[in-house]
Amino acid sequence: MPTLIALDASLSMLRPVPGRNEHTYQSLAIKGIQHLLDNLSAAGKLEHLALLSYTTTAELKVDFTRDYDQIRQAVKKVEAVDKACLMSMLKASVSIMSTWGSQNILQLVVFTDCGLGFGSTSVTGFLDAIASNDADSDFAWLKTLANYNVNFICLGLHGDHYFTRGLAVYQQLLDKAGLKGQLFMTKPAKNAEAVEGNPTPNPNPSHKSELGRTTVFELIERLCETSYKSTEVTLKCGSYFRMEAPVLLWPPTAPYEQPSPVFGRQPTLRHIDQRIEVCGFLALSDIGSPATMSRHWVLPKVEREKGGGSRRSGGLATAAKPPKLNLDTSNPNYELDKLETDIRDFYAKDPKDTEESGDDADVTIVVKHSSGPQTEQQRENLCVLLHGALKMENMAALVQVSDKWYGFIYAFTDSKKKSNLMLNILPPGTNVIPWVGDLELLGFPEDLVPGESASFPVRADRRSYSQSSVVWIRQASLQSDVQKVLRHAKKMPDKTQNFYKELNRIRRAALALGFVELLEALAMLLEKECAHLTLNGASNECTMQLQHAATELRKTSNRDIKSTIVPLQKVGGAPDAGSTATAPAPGYMY
Amino acid sequence: MAGLAGSAGRSTMFERNQKTIFVLDHTRYFSIASEEYISMDFLKGKPADTGGTGVGSAGGAGGSGAQFSKSLWTCACESSIEYCRVVWDLFPGRKHVRFIVSDTAAHIVNTWSPSTQNMSHVMNAMVMVGVPSRSMPQSSDYSVIHGLRAAIEALAEPTDEQMAALAGGRPEELPRIPNEGRVICITSARDNTSMKSLEDIFNTVLLQQNALAAAPSKKGLAIDHCHLVILNIVPLGVESLVTNRSLLKISPLLDVEIHTVSAPNISYKLTHLILDHYDLASTTVTNIPMKEEQNANSSANYDVEILHSRQAHSVTCGSDFSLPTSIKQGATYETVTLKWCTPRGCGSADLQPCLGQFLVTPVDVTSRPSSCLINFLLNGRSVLLEMPRKTGSKTTSHMLSARGGEIFVHSLCITRSCMDEAPAIADGPGGRVPDYRTAELGQLLKMSRMLPLKAKDPTSSNLSRRLPRYFPLSTSSTILFHLQRQISWLPHFLHLLVKEDMDKQDEVRCQQHIHELYKSASRGDVLPFTHTNGARLKLSKAKDQYRLLYRELEQLIQLNATTVHHKNLLESLQSLRAAYGDGPLKSETGTSLLRSYTESPLSPERLEPISSGSASGSSNSNSLLKASKRRMSSCGQRSLLDIISSAERSQSNKRLDFSGRLCTPLGQVAKLYPDFGNNKEKDSLTTAGNSGSNVKEESIRI
Repeated sequence: MPTLIALDASLSMLRPVPGRNEHTYQSLAIKGIQHLLDNLSAAGKLEHLALLSYTTTAELKVDFTRDYDQIRQAVKKVEAVDKACLMSMLKASVSIMSTWGSQNILQLVVFTDCGLGFGSTSVTGFLDAIASNDADSDFAWLKTLANYNVNFICLGLHGDHYFTRGLAVYQQLLDKAGLKGQLFMTKPAKNAEAVEGNPTPNPNPSHKSELGRTTVFELIERLCETSYKSTEVTLKCGSYFRMEAPVLLWPPTAPYEQPSPVFGRQPTLRHIDQRIEVCGFLALSDIGSPATMSRHWVLPKVEREKGGGSRRSGGLATAAKPPKLNLDTSNPNYELDKLETDIRDFYAKDPKDTEESGDDADVTIVVKHSSGPQTEQQRENLCVLLHGALKMENMAALVQVSDKWYGFIYAFTDSKKKSNLMLNILPPGTNVIPWVGDLELLGFPEDLVPGESASFPVRADRRSYSQSSVVWIRQASLQSDVQKVLRHAKKMPDKTQNFYKELNRIRRAALALGFVELLEALAMLLEKECAHLTLNGASNECTMQLQHAATELRKTSNRDIKSTIVPLQKVGGAPDAGSTATAPAPGYMY
Repeated sequence: MAGLAGSAGRSTMFERNQKTIFVLDHTRYFSIASEEYISMDFLKGKPADTGGTGVGSAGGAGGSGAQFSKSLWTCACESSIEYCRVVWDLFPGRKHVRFIVSDTAAHIVNTWSPSTQNMSHVMNAMVMVGVPSRSMPQSSDYSVIHGLRAAIEALAEPTDEQMAALAGGRPEELPRIPNEGRVICITSARDNTSMKSLEDIFNTVLLQQNALAAAPSKKGLAIDHCHLVILNIVPLGVESLVTNRSLLKISPLLDVEIHTVSAPNISYKLTHLILDHYDLASTTVTNIPMKEEQNANSSANYDVEILHSRQAHSVTCGSDFSLPTSIKQGATYETVTLKWCTPRGCGSADLQPCLGQFLVTPVDVTSRPSSCLINFLLNGRSVLLEMPRKTGSKTTSHMLSARGGEIFVHSLCITRSCMDEAPAIADGPGGRVPDYRTAELGQLLKMSRMLPLKAKDPTSSNLSRRLPRYFPLSTSSTILFHLQRQISWLPHFLHLLVKEDMDKQDEVRCQQHIHELYKSASRGDVLPFTHTNGARLKLSKAKDQYRLLYRELEQLIQLNATTVHHKNLLESLQSLRAAYGDGPLKSETGTSLLRSYTESPLSPERLEPISSGSASGSSNSNSLLKASKRRMSSCGQRSLLDIISSAERSQSNKRLDFSGRLCTPLGQVAKLYPDFGNNKEKDSLTTAGNSGSNVKEESIRI
């Protein structure tokens, strides 16, 4: 999810936060950005980030990168210049983001004190403009912006009227322009007096708790919770408990809007299941390059060693826990788990560590385990094994992500030879790859009915381009069809079969199109050819057949679907007697 | 992720273009010549005076001078058939086209049924229709009105998809099936007045039909909307009194447009209209190198124009670039020109990030460049298509490939993706484990490769049943699969253990192997590990290795226990563990688990009958094991068993016991060479167990 961080660098951001002399709005915003970077670093530094500061104009400080330090450095150097112009920033962001394709979810995070700007470039002025002429092409970029997630980190006090009015207008902007996203703001102070408007920002003691470092961090946590949460699912491949593991899908999956089959009904939003199960395996060459709805990395989910803020992962993984001394009867795989641990310890056992109590093996094992803890990288994981096997065999695992909804997992290697496990989610439905066929009908060789054979690709009916279609709309194609007949005609009797085959093909097409004029024309051509060949001393057989064919073409009795012109069988009654040509082999079949 | 454009979703199912009906005027007028003449010399292949269009408008001045012309009927017929060729190539089974021929009555050429929705059916039916007779008397009976009436009736008939949707709806709420359609009428009208009356009649019949569809009679589906396209055709060079009219809303139900075309140009007109009717776009693949027909040594570059869904373009387009377009000579629509790129195979490396795949069909299916490109693709090669970027660089934005006999254009993802710069899996969790059982899993993948079936039995095996129930991920967390490569009989043993249909003989073999293990444990043999950290295992470790091996075996059998034989094996193994001072009774879950299934109603008998049954068997595990087993089941304490087992151990530690004795039940005399001269079946069984030849392959089943 490429994210553009936009920092309001207007002079108003330099105001000290009332009641907190150590903070200005800008310093709080910078702290917020740093905290966002911390959170995204902890999540694996997968997101591409860019930094933009805006005043009257927008300036791209750092282009999209995964090197967060660049942003950390650059954000410190942002200097306040003049007034904020939100609209020029939004417009600039569209062009900055345009390098990203439609398959990416784009995020825009704006850190601002919700100033409205002045005059024609103000947010209110803009709202008036789109209300009056919304079909204007000047606002075409708004449509693109509507595909992004636009989130505002609103820094301000609820007692401040300028801020609350700004909030309302910003919300209007989101609604009117149809933007996805929301305003993140602190909760209003508990005191009722803050609401009782006094126009000047008053250093009220209650403000102390309303806006500060911790409250900004809370906003960031909320932002991460809503916008940067990886999809957590369980990947299952077979029945052994190790072949089932929690994984993260990154970037997060987007819900699919399934249109209702019933006319005029609201579409339903579909999410992928919590547990995605491998159904079987396919060669990548059989899958080809089908249209995919989205692509995701399949990353092993691990317990975070230290508290990762609000995004703590659930206690699913059993592998991460050290074996407990007391028997955990709630875990059905306790025995297997312990056995594996014991075996690993056995292999790793330090020769010195030999005191053996014989009977009480459990205790000694636990002691040894604690002596050499595994790092995350050394702990075996299903994703890595599956990746290795899929890569080795050039195969993909077909997974069911929901009811009648599939995807496939394979080893993806990028241009830098870095490889990882990738999930391509197909469009919902079971018949989404024509050459693979109905995904629900895929089975294993043992499921074949005896005598049945099956292989990929699933063949479709013949299309017009794989049949010998006749289309005479262009005269050139009529010409080439006629010439083919004439070419064969010259080479009779060798090509008698081909001659009649082509002749019948033309004749049938001409009849279908009601093109009887062509039949007469063809008959004339054949007669002319016959005369020409006779002069040049062609074989008797050849001229006989040509004459025969011409006659047959003219017969109206031959103008129905079942009739076929067959070669002349006997040459007995020919005027040019004494020919050495014997009768052609009887029974040409067409 | 918003930009998906795969095959048509449900929403597009009942669009207006789902049903199209051609009404062809088959009255006498249509038998007249289109006045576009084809000279005989041109057909013979005489060097044409002008390129490909060597049509003598001059009336074939040279040579014989003979010439002929298509009739209006032929023009109407071939262009409408061409229209549906494109539709059926691009939307097979999804978009339907019907033909109705009208003279004294309406003649139905095909129905909505899929069996008649194909080229060969239509062509064959058209043979029977034939050209309108010139000798027919001109009378009021001959009219296109019959055909238009029939077309409206046809619109009211549900297609198979609509039937399915009707049937799929819940009874309490009557489903509302959208029913729109398009009628393309190729006729010839005298003037605007007669065209107007045609329109009026059509509109009236439409209303009548909907009245029929309403309650109470409910005949057919109500027609929600109809788009009537009237093509008024005239011979070449003839002026028509009918004025062209773009789309006009006649009523809420009916839109009508009128085009007057000279007969030879109907096809161009329809090709233009079809783009809008089905939201198609045209792509011209340029710079295709092809060998010359005459001179095979030289090659020239050709262009081929193809049609496909417009989405193939729109899904790729971003804001920072646009596809290059041009307008072909004589055409009225834009085509996107993309350059042919070095062809590639269809290997796995070619899995392209694809945003949408769409069927294509060539505009000119019979031309030589088209068929060259088609055959190239049908032979299994794919072609990348290149477009220029604004920056001057080039990108492959599309790919052409054929699969299953159909040609697709794939719209590729050419924008920057957040998936770029992959995190390497080796750097992630689990990335530093050196000994994953990758090869074994690879074998399993190959054995679970899926195939397209005609029908599937819902009870047929799923992957969970095919993959092993016990499959440690790496060799460092298993002893059994680690040793599998070192001990020749182990793979076969493991194979036998997991057999779902284990029989008596299998059990006997397994018992023997278990006993082997017990013996080598008693001797204190070191198992042949390949990577122990120390060069030699310490004594305590030597003991551990068997304990772990037993535990692992026990887990393996437990997970695979499907027959009574498995249970027998499990019991002997558990007693063995006990004998080795590593009883399973310590783990309460283990025993409770064990008990739960030995006592479950499914298990046919308890220990006693089974063991007596085994005792009657010809060769079985030795009685010592059985004896200990009985004791185990009764008391579960290490008392007498301890004594026996330690005695056993000390005994065998001194010397290797005669294996025949160990295999013989107590009280019987051990037989020398028991297999010698015995039945061959048994013979082969033994060799199969010991030979390592077929073991390799079988081991992967475990």
